Amino acid sequence: MLKVTDLAVKRGSRVTLESITLSLPAGETLAVVGESGAGKSTLIAAILGLLKPAEGEITWNGKPARAARPALVMQEPRAAFNPALNLRRSVMEPIVAQGVALAAGRLERLCAGLEMPLDLLDRRPDQVSIGQAQRAGILRALIAAPPLVLFDEPLSALDAVTQKHTARLISELQAEEGFAALIVTHDLGYAVAHGDQIMVLKAGRVEETADANTFALTPQSPYCRTLRDAAISLGALEAAA
Amino acid sequence: MTLSVSGLSAVRSGRTILHPTSLEIPLQIRIGLVGSSGSGKSTLGHALIDDLRAQGHTVAHVPQSPDEALDPLRSMAFHWREAETALGLPPGSADQAGLFGALKIEGGDLSKRPWGWSRGMQQRFVIAMALIGNPDLIVLDEPTSALDPVVAAATMELLSAFLTGKDTAMILITHDLGLAARRVERLMVMDAGRLVETGRTEDILERPKTRAANALSTHRNWMVLPC
Repeated sequence: MLKVTDLAVKRGSRVTLESITLSLPAGETLAVVGESGAGKSTLIAAILGLLKPAEGEITWNGKPARAARPALVMQEPRAAFNPALNLRRSVMEPIVAQGVALAAGRLERLCAGLEMPLDLLDRRPDQVSIGQAQRAGILRALIAAPPLVLFDEPLSALDAVTQKHTARLISELQAEEGFAALIVTHDLGYAVAHGDQIMVLKAGRVEETADANTFALTPQSPYCRTLRDAAISLGALEAAA
Repeated sequence: MTLSVSGLSAVRSGRTILHPTSLEIPLQIRIGLVGSSGSGKSTLGHALIDDLRAQGHTVAHVPQSPDEALDPLRSMAFHWREAETALGLPPGSADQAGLFGALKIEGGDLSKRPWGWSRGMQQRFVIAMALIGNPDLIVLDEPTSALDPVVAAATMELLSAFLTGKDTAMILITHDLGLAARRVERLMVMDAGRLVETGRTEDILERPKTRAANALSTHRNWMVLPC
């Protein structure tokens, strides 16, 4: 289980995260929602160990979270890959870096789950569609079987139909693999549809945390109601007639 | 009056990215031009704007990001004067107070450069510039995708309210049928450089005829909330 306790992060003298507490069990999804500058990506950087907490701690099963080697899926699929390498070499980098063996049939099984033909991996990032590049990014994140996967706006570069398709594939793979997923998104519709819990950040602090259905139907704070209503206004969520 | 274009097409690197397309756009209408990435929506939008301007119509364009419309080294006042000049209007003659009030940016400091304004305010400023002189048509190309949802929703609400009762027609270009469905009365669906389906919004939502329209309709939102 991922546990974040009373986390504060400073950048220079500015506090960018304050009093963040959350727990995320294996196999579950926490969607972290908030507007630009709310601290969503800072939270991911802190969990990855790229930013040192000013206060509090971040653990996975009682040990520092970094030791669990959490994986990251980035926002811009093509920019997340070395443009000079084919996708296969980039996808295998976690295996090489961690010095672990690739289980027999794992690459093929993950590719099947992501609906990616194996020969697609022989192409460079600029030779595949943006949706295929993002699925390759998910493949790279999962290849070394991490217990925790962090997704930083994983769908925002994709079109509406590809977003729903990719989100379904992520959920199906999570059910098979059992990893905990922390998904940062500004899309409340995605968060509600695929999250077990929703945590809303505002100006570096937790505005509200709730299970997804409760949040969608009865957000408690005025800000969260505004977020929910904006998602309806933009068509991400639809209110039943 | 109806805006008409015929036989619009485009070829890039020997590949046809827009097959010959003809359109009739009545004034006051709100149309959604929808399709997946790479389907040719923006190409048709640009071709349409060029053709109608060549016919002498006033057509405004709002790009996806205000970064594409605003020079970071120039003040907002400069941009406003440029827009007036481009339309042949004397400086200060556009109804700035009315447009700024409608889009709720009346508190913006025009002496500042774009980065002195929030992105939401920048995008509403771009929309206000586009509406100077009540154009025959305003084309909005993914106007909310660079904005946070709360700001995006407010911007679309303000624009819809402003256009109510005006002659200006609107084309909203988006990959997101859920966004378009709440804002337009007609839809045009593009796939692989062709206009494959057009019709009333509710008809395409309920009875899509083509594969492309069916995919967009099926995936138009993440979920339906029970009441």
